[in-house]
Amino acid sequence: MTIRALWIISQEKGENVSIRFSRRFSTVEHRAKSLAGSSYVAVPEESTVLQLLLTELGLSDPDKAYVALRDDCLHRPRSPALELRVDSPEKGILWPMLVISQGPLILACLPLVDVPPEPRPPLASLLSVSQGLTLLAGLQTFLLGSGSKPDGEGLVSRLAMLPSVLLQVCPLGTPLDVPLLGPPATPTGPTSTGNQKQPAWKTGLHRGRAVVNVALTETVRSMQYGNRSRQDLWDVFGTVLCKCEVEGVLPNVMVTLSLPPNGSPLQDILVHPCVTSLDSSILTASSVDNCDSSAFSGPYKFPFSPPLEPFRLCSYTSQVPVPPILGSYQLREEENQLHVSVSLKLHESVKNSFEYCEARLPFFNRDQMGVVDVKVSYGQLDISKEKNLLVWVLGQKFPKSHEVTMEGKISFSGPTHGPSDPLCTGLTAYIKLYFKVPDMTLSGCSVDQHSVQVYSSAKPRIVTSRELISKDYFIWNSTGAAPVSSGQMVM
Amino acid sequence: MAANWAERISAFSRSPTRFLSGTTAEAFLAELLRELRDDRASYSVKVLLLSPLCEHPTLLCPSDSVGEETALELMSVFAQCPPKLVGFRCHLLLALTSVLICTSCASGRSRASQDFLDLLLQIIQDPSDLHSDGSLRSICATACDCLRELEACCPGLLSQRLELLCGLRQQETSRLHQPYAALQTLVLRNAVYQLTQEKGAGAEHLKALLGGITSVAWEADQDSGLMNNKDSAILSSLILGPMGVVPTLQTGPDCKELRSVLSSLLEESYLLTPLCQAALLHRLTEVVAMVPGIPPAIFRAQLLRLLGTSEVCLLHATLLMKCAYTDSLFSAEDEAFILKRLVVLSQHPRLTAPEKLFYMDCILHFPENRPIDSGDDTLPVLLTPRLASALAPTVFNDSATLLSRFNLLSLVHLEEGEEAEEGQGLEYLYEHLTSLLYIVENRGSREIVVTFFRAVFLFLFYFHHVERYSTSLTEQLCKLYLHHTHLAPHLINLADQTQDRLSESNWAVGLLTALQKVITSLTQLSLKDLKWHLKMLGRVAEEGEIPQRNTLSFLSRVITPSFSSLCESGDWRQGNNVLGVCRRLLVHPSLDSLLIPLADILQHLARCYRDTDIQDHARLYYTLLTTLSREKLAGVMMQGATEGGREVKKRSLSSLMSEGEELTSLLTIHQTEKAIFRLTEAQSDPQQESKESDLHQDKVENCAEEANAALEAYRAQFSDPSFASEVTLKYQLAHTVGHDSRFDQLFSIRLHFSLTDNHYEKLHDISVPCLFRERPSPVVQLRLKPRQPYPTTLHASAIFTTQDGMSWHTAVPDIHVAFEQTFMPLPSPQTWGQGGKLGVFEGLWEEMCTEKEERAISLFCCQLEEAALNALVRKRFLPYLVSDPSHKDELKVLFFLPPQCHILLKIMSKEDAVHFNIATDNWQLLPHIGSYLLTITAAQEHPPS
Repeated sequence: MTIRALWIISQEKGENVSIRFSRRFSTVEHRAKSLAGSSYVAVPEESTVLQLLLTELGLSDPDKAYVALRDDCLHRPRSPALELRVDSPEKGILWPMLVISQGPLILACLPLVDVPPEPRPPLASLLSVSQGLTLLAGLQTFLLGSGSKPDGEGLVSRLAMLPSVLLQVCPLGTPLDVPLLGPPATPTGPTSTGNQKQPAWKTGLHRGRAVVNVALTETVRSMQYGNRSRQDLWDVFGTVLCKCEVEGVLPNVMVTLSLPPNGSPLQDILVHPCVTSLDSSILTASSVDNCDSSAFSGPYKFPFSPPLEPFRLCSYTSQVPVPPILGSYQLREEENQLHVSVSLKLHESVKNSFEYCEARLPFFNRDQMGVVDVKVSYGQLDISKEKNLLVWVLGQKFPKSHEVTMEGKISFSGPTHGPSDPLCTGLTAYIKLYFKVPDMTLSGCSVDQHSVQVYSSAKPRIVTSRELISKDYFIWNSTGAAPVSSGQMVM
Repeated sequence: MAANWAERISAFSRSPTRFLSGTTAEAFLAELLRELRDDRASYSVKVLLLSPLCEHPTLLCPSDSVGEETALELMSVFAQCPPKLVGFRCHLLLALTSVLICTSCASGRSRASQDFLDLLLQIIQDPSDLHSDGSLRSICATACDCLRELEACCPGLLSQRLELLCGLRQQETSRLHQPYAALQTLVLRNAVYQLTQEKGAGAEHLKALLGGITSVAWEADQDSGLMNNKDSAILSSLILGPMGVVPTLQTGPDCKELRSVLSSLLEESYLLTPLCQAALLHRLTEVVAMVPGIPPAIFRAQLLRLLGTSEVCLLHATLLMKCAYTDSLFSAEDEAFILKRLVVLSQHPRLTAPEKLFYMDCILHFPENRPIDSGDDTLPVLLTPRLASALAPTVFNDSATLLSRFNLLSLVHLEEGEEAEEGQGLEYLYEHLTSLLYIVENRGSREIVVTFFRAVFLFLFYFHHVERYSTSLTEQLCKLYLHHTHLAPHLINLADQTQDRLSESNWAVGLLTALQKVITSLTQLSLKDLKWHLKMLGRVAEEGEIPQRNTLSFLSRVITPSFSSLCESGDWRQGNNVLGVCRRLLVHPSLDSLLIPLADILQHLARCYRDTDIQDHARLYYTLLTTLSREKLAGVMMQGATEGGREVKKRSLSSLMSEGEELTSLLTIHQTEKAIFRLTEAQSDPQQESKESDLHQDKVENCAEEANAALEAYRAQFSDPSFASEVTLKYQLAHTVGHDSRFDQLFSIRLHFSLTDNHYEKLHDISVPCLFRERPSPVVQLRLKPRQPYPTTLHASAIFTTQDGMSWHTAVPDIHVAFEQTFMPLPSPQTWGQGGKLGVFEGLWEEMCTEKEERAISLFCCQLEEAALNALVRKRFLPYLVSDPSHKDELKVLFFLPPQCHILLKIMSKEDAVHFNIATDNWQLLPHIGSYLLTITAAQEHPPS
């Protein structure tokens, strides 16, 4: 349940690679030696680790099309636990090297294998693997912030804080916690907590007026093909974010999610570890199961004791019968011109009040757009600066008919080639929709302000909100081949 | 200075060995410790200085004694450090823990480690600090972490303190209860394990353990420590799945005390961070598994909370619980639920990609209640194609996810492939490959290309027998190749791997035949594509089964001017590619039928290709082809090829030059896997050497005034800088134990040495004409020229030739040069007798006693019987003795160490001990001579039996 070493590497698409931070845990290494016996492989020096890691991640020699060691078809890097084939001075395999990467950072650590090393034990038998993953993810969030683009200086200063951060979260190779984001909570003086123990994940105590904020966000994804042989797909998942400022060492709060009558049950519910207890009925509905109409459909009660910082109380998925916007997209190529025909229809159950709504039509792997003779029935049409993307801004509302269309011709004659994208060539093309609808969810799920209960002396202020946003919402050209297999899995 | 330290420390951690080659570990450690004690240094720098000790304690403290001393030093730094500097004090505790554990001081229960343990226990119990200030809590938490690490590395260390730890945890209301709980559970787990190893231990012992009663029988075993007698088993996790056997402690149903401890820990587990909670659950799972008296149902109250969690480590701990208890805690419905949950988690939009991949791995190794077999990558029975369909790969997945899903789905549909060829799952997988192919055709990125070929390999690996798909795949790949010839290396790699791994399938040959067909029926081609076509045809020509007529007619077309400008271009690489194909054809089984067209091609190349090297090679091949019999030709060409064949692909310039592996293997320097020979110190006979010196012993002239004159004359010799500047060490070169008949007779051995530090001048290479296993081993003289006569290690390697004419490079085990190996007798003029030497000795002694500059004196005492002392002198000091050996009351010994150092010994037997008075003109040699004397006198005290 410990890790032998930790590395933090920065890179830009395989270039300018350097190890920005590393830490070896000598006492764990000491144990690794006695546990592995004759199959012990020492952790090589930094430069060797870096080279081996890049090869394994397929990032070494970025300018070479084929490198046997890197691209062998037999070799399947078993992410997230890679094996590094150490050559010299000691031959052997370092396993399981956990790696996660996001943006410019690659984080890696090597957990201790505390079960007999031969034959290779399954990853699932090593608790240190999931612990290592949690630690790496925590460090990643700490270093990059919640966004994936760190500012250079911020990264440098946070890297400089790592020694003291590790003293708290992983002093001797045993991960204890993930780093705190932001400055530590205001230190509280000696607290008379009575017999109540302060949770280790609560860094301090709140003083002042109680405020509970519950925000429910649903995200909808879709793949629409407009083709009989391919089933359109969409899914919805929701997240409940909480920020609770409540007095007390271990205050009790209860949030209840409820569905409208006949709403389909919330599935695949995951809860934050601060939830104190769960009813088994909450966990029964699952997206991989048959939908059972008699299944439990709420109310979903989540009793918990909140940490100080904002946290994700729970998340779920939901099966809704129709996508919020149904689209059709047709492209025909005639005499160096593209005939475009699009229609988008808002489903009547969706509130016609958007924060924003726009459709983007990329035309990649072509010359730049020349003459664009396209009419829209509603909204406004823009052409991107690079002249390879149409942006159709629909604004805050669909018209009364709930349907909008686009019709017209585009010719391509620009002097330079636009960007390329292997997923968007020729008639393989798509529309991507971006929209956000405040104060609604597709599943109908909601958090009633009055259902939030806080068991403490002072009367709290309670704020709840909900919204629907789109993500990966694609409408494929129905006259071209969408880059997916036509066969559907047996559902 | 501070910036300098930051740089030096980062240089050290980048490459400790390179850093230490510029100094010694000893010197660096001394520097670190000095700086740590220096009041002027800032504490942020001091924290930095501790990191080498934390990360590489064994490099800096190579022996237990150094570790012990270092730990004592650090503890005194800790004692003097103001309590306010919490961060630094915490880091100091970590450094101490690292040093004591890694040098095995802790497992040996050394003095320093006992003191450290007391210090830690004192910190965690000190009630005055606890509630005053948050920062003091963190030193207490670090102390707990250190104790936990000590207990983890020396299991059983704290068994006697269980009651104390339990009490501390229960009283604590601040966040400190977490480190206490972590410590307590580990100690509890180790203590219970310890009991399971005791014969006859039972409920009483368990009760005593928890109650802190130390008078029970097993206490006797305490000091030996578990690590010593029970290897590393106690360090291992006890949860190994259905095949693992957990040691058990028979207590009967009466274990109230343990049960109450466990309940209290579990009740409060919610208050711990998820990471600590997972560790605690895992430890408690082990404890309950070891004590059958406690039913696993004790965990039941936690299960729902754990199964619903979004934290990967908590769910993982629950899976391990399932692995340990199977149906004694989880019903069949629970099992079905958990598996479904894993499928859900493997694709939950709210989880990160690595987490999802981990869960997918957990499905592959699902701990079933009743496993049918425990082979690798076998799927749980409950995972139906229906359930698994949620994990179907899509082109929008990242590569790792895509391949994992592809593999999982292939396993799920494996049986389907056999039963019904029309299986929908298989259909889906094949169409998925097609979708990927489509992206590759549209110039997908390198990553997509690699992923595609890996997916193809997986598909073939599982379904190569389903002809409908494998044939169609061949066609699609041929089409892909024609449009994207640069994928040739990937296709060759795919052919190689499917041939190697799927020996029962002929798919690779089918693919290569099809590729040959599409390439040779091309009517026009560019020179750029030609390169890949030739590579491909070269690979096709390796297959004896594939007829090569088409290849030949393609080659003859390619070299015709009307078809391509190849011959006129004189491109050396392209020419080589053509020759590469020809060379393979020369060994093709159907060569007889290819003879004439192949000869024509070679002749044409020899005449018309505008590159002399290509012409020459073509001519050579032509001559071989037309003059040698088939058998001989095969013999010449196959030599080398048979040794490695395709499996050993050495990419070297020489192989590019000739494209003939028989020549390549002669030109390439091969690397041996293991060391073939080693250098061992040749045993010189001190008796013989001393006899030589006896020859010069003419007369004794002992005048004090002459001492200075002798010294002057002696020193005058050093005006020649090369005088006595080298130490010659004799080594025997001998085979290592392993027997490999290829290496029985070695020739032209050239030994190369490299230094690991700066204390010596570079060494010259040494040549040895031959080394035969059955003959006496040759003696090699190593001439070392010290800058500082310190002990050192030399890296060595060698190049040699074997009987079959191959050249090899091999690593030779390191050579350790001990301190005493640099000793030489006084290099006095040949004509001098004993008197002159004695004069030099006296002169030097007098000088050294002034202790100026580098000079120093010291005293070493030990107890030796007279006989032992005599034996010691005879064995070790005879060549260096300058006084009369018969004058036993005071023996004078002089070691000369190049370039110009001296160590003088006056050895006197006193009543209580033998005194070695030491004088030297280089004080830095004192620790070395000290440890040398310690070793040799200790050996004399306890002669090896």
